[in-house]
Amino acid sequence: MQHLANMRDVQGRADQAAIEVERLSHVYAGADGGVPALQDISMSVRAGRFVVIVGPSGCGKTSLLMMMAGLRHQTEGTILCHGRPIPTPDPTRVGVIFQEASLFPWLTTLDNIEFPLSLRGTPREERRRRSQAMLSLVSLEGFGERYPHELSGGMKQRVSIARGLVQDPPVLLMDEPFAALDEQTRMTMGHELLRIWSTTRKTVVFITHSLTEAVYLADDVLVMSARPGRIIDHIEVNLPRPRTYEMMATDVFGKLRDRIWQQIRRTT
Amino acid sequence: MTRTQIIVARLALLALVLGAWEVLPRSGAINPLLLPPLSEVLATLANLLGRPNVHEAVAVTAAEVIVAFIIAVPLGAAAGILIAENAYVGEIFKPMLFYVFSIPKSIFLPMFILVFGIGFQQKVAYAAFTTAFVVLMSATAAVESVRSDHIMVARSYGATQTQILLRVYVPSMMPVLLETLRISMIFNFTGVMIAEMYASRTGIGHLISNWGENFQMPQLFAGVIMLATVAILFNEAVRALEARCSTWRT
Repeated sequence: MQHLANMRDVQGRADQAAIEVERLSHVYAGADGGVPALQDISMSVRAGRFVVIVGPSGCGKTSLLMMMAGLRHQTEGTILCHGRPIPTPDPTRVGVIFQEASLFPWLTTLDNIEFPLSLRGTPREERRRRSQAMLSLVSLEGFGERYPHELSGGMKQRVSIARGLVQDPPVLLMDEPFAALDEQTRMTMGHELLRIWSTTRKTVVFITHSLTEAVYLADDVLVMSARPGRIIDHIEVNLPRPRTYEMMATDVFGKLRDRIWQQIRRTT
Repeated sequence: MTRTQIIVARLALLALVLGAWEVLPRSGAINPLLLPPLSEVLATLANLLGRPNVHEAVAVTAAEVIVAFIIAVPLGAAAGILIAENAYVGEIFKPMLFYVFSIPKSIFLPMFILVFGIGFQQKVAYAAFTTAFVVLMSATAAVESVRSDHIMVARSYGATQTQILLRVYVPSMMPVLLETLRISMIFNFTGVMIAEMYASRTGIGHLISNWGENFQMPQLFAGVIMLATVAILFNEAVRALEARCSTWRT
């Protein structure tokens, strides 16, 4: 309960929570009984916040994100997205970005971005207009007719972000989206993501293994324990925005990163 | 090598083979009774193409090939998809199918003759039987070529089961399926030919087998050229389609 009380602080003012997780637990059905994966997780993400979840491998953070997306179901507890449960995926409320860009290789960049719209039968001109807008949002003008195999890793992930945003969902869930990229591309993409976030004012829940990425991107960092995953710390990052590369060398940045690391080391 | 050089080299190879076919029998280096010169074979081919009994044989063979193909492809594809998609069905049927796949199918031909006689049905049944196995194996591979992360993405954007099938499965599987179509036609054609040469009263296979037995070598080679042309044309047509549908695969 102590961390639950702690979480209440995240909300701060009485703004509506974009995502609210209450007493969530999950048990995987195994051959010899259940394996507890997530244990008593409660958190509240205020609209417009950038929340990063870090934790050791296998702690269940991806499962938690999949549950927020309505792609998986928890054993116990509730998840509310802007006050309503999300039993099945709803791309108008929640966009999901995966670790692999997972673009459809038989579609062009624009067609990939439009894919969610085409599933709902949005008229073609409307689709084109919105996918073009997304293309410029992620700074890929001129690459609309290219196929995924003609794009670099970073560009693919930009397209994937554009696809996630094309239906303008208020919430964006990102599962280690830059983990497969090299360090330089990763830095650039982090910076790009913050730019996109500041123009669109989405609520972002972002999962990562990288401590530096966590501090650089986040308003709030939630640290999860090893399996069964619990939230063991909530760290508010008060670094000013826009964030810059230089901030990484500051004492404050180092202390925050250190605190996350101490927490993770304590749990494994 | 540049593209042009490669094409020139290929044409040179073709000219060499055809030239040897003409020159070697004529010079006596090869017995012309066993291998008649190309010009003689081509003249025989022109002559054969004008004969009603050859027309009839071509029509019969074509009908057998097409009907066997129409039966084998959907049957094999459905079975292959079922095995790949349903874990239980796969577990149960896979070992037996893999074992049977390894057996040369021609040893079953006498049984087909006992059951179906030596007419149209026997050719179609035997060819469809051999072809369905190839289609089944490739269809399994086609399903397995669908990436689970693509299905996950489609689901996360609220795709229905039908939409996942049409928008993810079909395009993912298309290149492998076209390849399957091409390879299964090779097996299908072979099946019909073997059945016709083994026991038959009609069809090109029957004619070729007869010409061979009667030592009519120009006719035999003319038949080979006729069949080879049809087989190559079909193969290349599907390959062209394949290339168009899978530019994204590279």
